[in-house]
Amino acid sequence: MKLYLYGIINSSDQIKKSIYGLEGSNVYNIPFCDIGAVVSEIEKPIQDVTEGAVLGHEAVVEKLMANFDVLPARFQTIIDGRDSLLSMMQSYYRDFKGNLERFHNKCEFGIKVIWPADKVKANILKVLKKEEQKILESDNSSSKRFIKKKFEGYKIDIEFEAKADKFIKVMDIFFSRFAAEKKLEKLRTKNLLLDAVYLVEKDRENDFREAFGHIKSGPLGLKYLFSGPWPPYNFVVLSKKPDLLRDSEQADLFGKVTQCQALVGVGSI
Amino acid sequence: MIANAVVETDSDEEFIEEIEKAQNALPKKINANPKTVEKGLAKLVLTLIELIRKLLEKQAMRRVEAGSLSDEEIERVGETLMKLENKMEELKEIFGLKDEELNLNLGPLGDLL
Repeated sequence: MKLYLYGIINSSDQIKKSIYGLEGSNVYNIPFCDIGAVVSEIEKPIQDVTEGAVLGHEAVVEKLMANFDVLPARFQTIIDGRDSLLSMMQSYYRDFKGNLERFHNKCEFGIKVIWPADKVKANILKVLKKEEQKILESDNSSSKRFIKKKFEGYKIDIEFEAKADKFIKVMDIFFSRFAAEKKLEKLRTKNLLLDAVYLVEKDRENDFREAFGHIKSGPLGLKYLFSGPWPPYNFVVLSKKPDLLRDSEQADLFGKVTQCQALVGVGSI
Repeated sequence: MIANAVVETDSDEEFIEEIEKAQNALPKKINANPKTVEKGLAKLVLTLIELIRKLLEKQAMRRVEAGSLSDEEIERVGETLMKLENKMEELKEIFGLKDEELNLNLGPLGDLL
């Protein structure tokens, strides 16, 4: 019988409250020293990734979060059996313990920000045109005109990046005050100015939300997406990659579950 | 079904679109099945050429900005970069590749381009 892994928790005790996981199966804890792997039994890998299955996984992890510190496993993490699982727990015990201690009483919040990239670039171009740098004696050949056009694009890109940095810095000052750790990604697309995750202590959740409220109602005029509290999907650090999983695509055991978060987002909006 | 997590936004469709764009731009692995191996390899090679081309272009722009190129040198650099860009366009068309496909995800280091 294969085991579907939901996460690792900081307890070796059995879960007192009944939790039902994927395919309605019973969720239980397999202890290893003072930690445990929360699993349910599964006949075969999930063939179709449905919104229901993803939400089912997330719901189990969130129920665990209510009572334990959790290292959430990636959706569709399937392990060959109890022996393989225990072997993995043995290999990664120090990593798991270290992460669980880092995550004690903390949760993850996501913040995404969209800005009007085309408008920002158009404004930059306007300013650049006013203070245009003379780079060529004449632009009577196609290669000089090519360079002129490229140079304009180069200057716009530099200004665009600098503006993005400024906006992100302002926002991050607010959020960082209440976060233990953070990961920021700038301009994943030209419009997606910021894609950030913050690890926040549970008793500072309200402060963090208030900081978001301030930014949102401020004068920056951007579009925001706020999500959480999530299990700390994006902050798990392992010293080596797990090699016991059946599906090679699932090698990143505790990787970013963007699919899960995206689907949850779609379902909850 | 979700216990606590909430997602708040006034612009759900825009965010879904941008997240999809960000995810679709970067395939997690090179598609190397027998039918598409040529395109997969071309994509890898063209990505590396594109990286070098962009580096050359950036270096040239820095020198233009610093004013360290003569009019003749600008002419020469312009012609070279223009030909290189045209050649890349031709190759992309031959292999049916789009600009956004020429990238590699380097894991924790981010994207190549």
